[in-house]
Amino acid sequence: MEIFITGYGLISSIGIGADETILSLRNEKSGITKGSNDFSSKYLVGEIKFSDNELKERFGIMQNCSRTALLGMIAAKQAFEGHSISEEIKTGLISSTSVGGMDVSEKEFRKYLQDGKQDLSQYKHHSSGVSSEQIAKELGIKGFVNTISTACSSAANALMMGARMIQSGMLDRVVVGGTDALTSFTINGFKSLMIFDEDWCKPFDNSRKGLNLGEGAGFVVLESEKSMQLSKQKAVANLSGWSNASDAFHQTASSPDGQGAQLSMTEALKVAGLTPDDIDYINAHGTATPNNDLSESQAIKSIFKENIPPFSSTKALQVILWLHRVELKLFFRFLQLTMDICIRI
Amino acid sequence: MSDLKQTLKEQIIEQLNLEDITPADIQDDTPLFGEALGLDSIDALEFIVLLEQNYGIKIADPSEGREIFQSVNSLAAYIEKNK
Amino acid sequence: MKLIGTCKISKNGAFLNGKEVELFSSDTENWKKECYTNLNLDYSKFHKMDSLAKMAFLSTEIIKKEVDLSKYDENELTLLFANNSSSLTTDLKFINSYEVKGSPSPSLFVYTLPNILTGELAIRNKWYGENCFFIEEKFDVEFFLEQINFYFSKGSNACLCGWVESNKKNEECFLFLIEKNGKENIKEQLTTLYKQ
Repeated sequence: MEIFITGYGLISSIGIGADETILSLRNEKSGITKGSNDFSSKYLVGEIKFSDNELKERFGIMQNCSRTALLGMIAAKQAFEGHSISEEIKTGLISSTSVGGMDVSEKEFRKYLQDGKQDLSQYKHHSSGVSSEQIAKELGIKGFVNTISTACSSAANALMMGARMIQSGMLDRVVVGGTDALTSFTINGFKSLMIFDEDWCKPFDNSRKGLNLGEGAGFVVLESEKSMQLSKQKAVANLSGWSNASDAFHQTASSPDGQGAQLSMTEALKVAGLTPDDIDYINAHGTATPNNDLSESQAIKSIFKENIPPFSSTKALQVILWLHRVELKLFFRFLQLTMDICIRI
Repeated sequence: MSDLKQTLKEQIIEQLNLEDITPADIQDDTPLFGEALGLDSIDALEFIVLLEQNYGIKIADPSEGREIFQSVNSLAAYIEKNK
Repeated sequence: MKLIGTCKISKNGAFLNGKEVELFSSDTENWKKECYTNLNLDYSKFHKMDSLAKMAFLSTEIIKKEVDLSKYDENELTLLFANNSSSLTTDLKFINSYEVKGSPSPSLFVYTLPNILTGELAIRNKWYGENCFFIEEKFDVEFFLEQINFYFSKGSNACLCGWVESNKKNEECFLFLIEKNGKENIKEQLTTLYKQ
């Protein structure tokens, strides 16, 4: 069964919506600058330069929510534009996030450390699931709502799960994607792993030292053919292949030969009924860490042999660390999407 | 020096959250990485934190650590030389 | 589907297919370490794992005493795990490392996702198949059966499943292995064995 993509939306440090983002990418405009929060001001980060209140006002969002939920609502609303809720179309939302409402918890906890007072009700945003519930509410989706949290592969897993649920008849239409706000937790975590570059990150470069961190959200609408007839939406692309494999190597590091990535690319091509020759472009994970870029290059080599298609990582311009893969392929309007997904942070 | 080694063993256990291990399990020349303790690249980072916090010694590039972190002996020798 | 084996472990004891296995005494402080020692295992990475991964690891090793898990092809087995508290125990330790001790601990950060335990099992046993970790209210047999059916319909032939919980009040792991071929009423069997 074919899976169609009939809507898309995103927000990141290089733009709100597809047009702004494509313009930035074409002009090689970087969104990575010194941070504007206490915890980010020492570092180069991919921040969205609008406050929560500015964003809420601009997009007419009234809910009391975390920044993670807010960014998700903005991207999901764009993706769902033109769609409407209908009894005839079983509609779900699968949102993914790594830190959930950690941004709210951190603010509240810092306040508590300073003056010993805290509003415990604020911690209700902490659970990742709350951001998904709030995004669903914003879109009016009352059916299946789920949250995936598998670090870098989160949004890719959301796409995969959505496609499978449509294929198995559990849903007709599903809004899938991911969202994360920049937090101190994330910066400290990656700094502790010493894979955090204090300078601009340099994916696939010999002098690469690590990643930069950012924030953002990206969502797409997946539909079955039956659903498209009812929603009267046009397909902009197909989601034709996917796979998820384990690398069985290390909790955070990728294996030197990228075995998990090889397995998942092979399987994704099989699901799509394609061969490596059919692929015109690879949007790489390309985190700019020495380990990832090496492992990923080895995996790509082993699949594509002598005929490696152009590949790149947009991390140098736009750091939607956890979610990147999903939206870019769509914006370049490739007809076939393949994803490789493996466990890594 | 032997006091330093004993302290180091305790600090390693604390820093690496090795709840099951006691200082007696670590010999002065036990290879810290590899089979004996099962330590890996993530733990090398813990050693960098340990040196900076307890001894004020900074290591900027994790790859420099490989020789220093071979055993409690080599760690102690490095600390003596650099403190 | 067919239930191949189960293992339940907590401070109260280890139960393989419903029968108690003497691997540690219930009054011991560090029962997971005692269990590891008595299983005569030589896998030093165990000592670095968080409590979720340790419990999943031990239960798998106990099941392996009766079932040959290496018979499955490298990506034939699906891992399906769930709990309620996610990685909360480790999250709190990680926050403590940078808020109180002054430096974020990389070896704790690694475990601030509960699904790291499925990774640990994959690394130990060289399993390359799919794995999934769910956050659920409570142990729910029907939820697991729904997921298992789903993975069986997608080509998997066996599912190693587990409910692994670690919070201030409770530490437990209930592991069960299910194969595709067979017709058994698994729901009741699992409900009974979990309550043990």
